[in-house]
Amino acid sequence: MKKERKNYLDEMKEQQLLHIEKNGCWIAFWGLFIVMQIQTFTEGEFLGKQSMGEWLVFMILALYLVIACIRRGIWSRNLKPNATTNLIASLIAGVVIGAVFGIKAYIDYDSFAGAIATGVVIFIGIFFSCFITLSLSAAILKKRNAKLENEEDDIQKAAVCEETEENV
Amino acid sequence: MSRNIPIKVARVQLDMTQKQLADEVGVSRQTINAIEQGEYNPTIKLCRTICKVLGKSLDELFGEEE
Repeated sequence: MKKERKNYLDEMKEQQLLHIEKNGCWIAFWGLFIVMQIQTFTEGEFLGKQSMGEWLVFMILALYLVIACIRRGIWSRNLKPNATTNLIASLIAGVVIGAVFGIKAYIDYDSFAGAIATGVVIFIGIFFSCFITLSLSAAILKKRNAKLENEEDDIQKAAVCEETEENV
Repeated sequence: MSRNIPIKVARVQLDMTQKQLADEVGVSRQTINAIEQGEYNPTIKLCRTICKVLGKSLDELFGEEE
């Protein structure tokens, strides 16, 4: 039997994440649909640039996912928001994007040294920006989660009231 | 969805906070709060765990009101 990865979300949060993912899917669908319709009139350009429309939809989607998840105190099903995870994720992002830009530079300029230099520069840029962004998001999420988890419920409120009355 | 008063009453009888109940059941406090407020409809598995922790039957906590 296939071993399942541990899910850190409880059932309500799992449903909330599925809801966010569903909304994200429709944002991507309609966003891309609109961009494609606009591009039929502009010879594949959007706001004067090729692939700008797709980029815009991608950024809107990413922003929506981050804000919606943090608002509900959700990070990921299988990952915890800690420095190790952020480091690994940033490394993967840096290597993938660095490799893509390195290969593109090699195809465009036919220079191996230039391609390596481009790849390394892009890797460093992506790695640090990713790590900083992930660390910031994790800090905001932890603050949000602490607020959501530590809100006083009625029994705690009643206990505080009783204590105050006794002191008076 | 209407508020789930029986859970709140059973919890108060045991002098438990939402956080304590959540820890016993193995979910977040937000989930317990949402169930009590009637904002979330739990699965039968979670209902049974809550019943077990609070020492009540499914009917007592989640049965339909007449």
